[in-house]
Amino acid sequence: MNANALAGARPMRARPGDPDAELVAAARADPREFLALYDRYFDRVLGYARLRIRDRATCEDVTSRVFTAALEQLGRFRGEGSFAGWLFQIARNAVRDVQRQRVTEPLCDERVAGDPSPEERVLALERAHELHALIRRLRPEQQHLLALRYGAGLPYEEIAAIVGSAPATVRVRVHRILEELRLRFP
Amino acid sequence: MTMHDDSNLQLLERDLTALAAPREDDERLRLALRDQLAATLPGRPRTRSRPRRRSIRHPLGAAAVVAAAAAAAAVALVGTGGSDGPSIASAAIVHHTLRAMTPPANAILHTQVVGVQNGVTVVGETWQETTPPYASRGLKGSPGHLGEFADNGTTSFEYDPTTNTIQEQPDSSHPTFADPVAQVRQELASGQAEETGMVTIGGASLYKIDLPHGLVGYFGMADYLPRYLNDPQRDGSMVRLRVAAYQYLAMTPANRALLSITAQHPRARIVTGGGAAGK
Repeated sequence: MNANALAGARPMRARPGDPDAELVAAARADPREFLALYDRYFDRVLGYARLRIRDRATCEDVTSRVFTAALEQLGRFRGEGSFAGWLFQIARNAVRDVQRQRVTEPLCDERVAGDPSPEERVLALERAHELHALIRRLRPEQQHLLALRYGAGLPYEEIAAIVGSAPATVRVRVHRILEELRLRFP
Repeated sequence: MTMHDDSNLQLLERDLTALAAPREDDERLRLALRDQLAATLPGRPRTRSRPRRRSIRHPLGAAAVVAAAAAAAAVALVGTGGSDGPSIASAAIVHHTLRAMTPPANAILHTQVVGVQNGVTVVGETWQETTPPYASRGLKGSPGHLGEFADNGTTSFEYDPTTNTIQEQPDSSHPTFADPVAQVRQELASGQAEETGMVTIGGASLYKIDLPHGLVGYFGMADYLPRYLNDPQRDGSMVRLRVAAYQYLAMTPANRALLSITAQHPRARIVTGGGAAGK
């Protein structure tokens, strides 16, 4: 487990404005503190995976892989970007890996919360499946942006910090992706 | 998919958000993954610490507990990165097995394990509350010669069928939940459990998971629950334990009665022991 090697990790550059800087520093000093980062980002990483991957088991597998990798590689995180950006880059790579390996995704038991009737649930499932298929046809960077926004639920400011763009630029890019999606799905 | 009005992308945004909406069992998943991460950390801190308490006796004794514990260890989520690790599919199966064996709160875990010890068939069956006070009742022995015991968190009980007597002993050292999964989460650092194929035993298709230290577990393909455990012995032989029951029961009054030895033997004579000795 690379966590044991964290004590010998390189000094991290302080990045002004990174809300996770203190937690990251604590985790580098004591790997057990990584669990605080896990708690903070579990929902967002799982949501990110769910937006890009239809299969439920794979989403959970990806989420696990992201945090396992983050824990193992935290000693190599240099702090030049935000922790969130680094973490979601791991997530992006994990999604890419599984999408490369899976030619087709199995049908899953996805559920959409709050569907009161079986009919509505079926319709929601159909919508979800079709939307997932559309997302898969987007370029990877588009999928990434969409997942950060609607899967991880991040505000434009945070996405901008992650992808290294201005918030206004991110907003425009997301809007264009939505327009593209809508055109493909009249 | 619904039609989206050109002037309004909100429906599309709503649908996108719904794709990632939280699910009912997210918290369970979060805790399971958290425990697995914690188990790999130096010092292995207990993420949901419980005070040291006495353990509930397992119906099949220490050997079975070790076997069950090792089996549960096998369902730890293993590292999936790197070419030397198990495949994603394998890891996913192991992961789902772990989830299936993570007891829900406010339930009763019912297990029945059948094995052969020294040529004699031994049956162990327990009902265990999954939340404090972790009340439990168990049966152990060979068919026709079953011992029975229980613990409600403050008192331990033992039933003697030959005299129809319940011996009760006040005990303030609260029991732990003798869930083997909880016990072995502290031993997951190896991360070497690996699904190695599918087999058919007794007409049932099962996942085979190779465990560290030579144990092998067989798990249902639909529910990921344990069916068989192969436990290698020091003499080179292999003992197969059949998991005849592994289920979570709702905390209904009828099921709650399964935890009580007095409820099961309402006509038994109750003898109260002295002192408050622990077990």
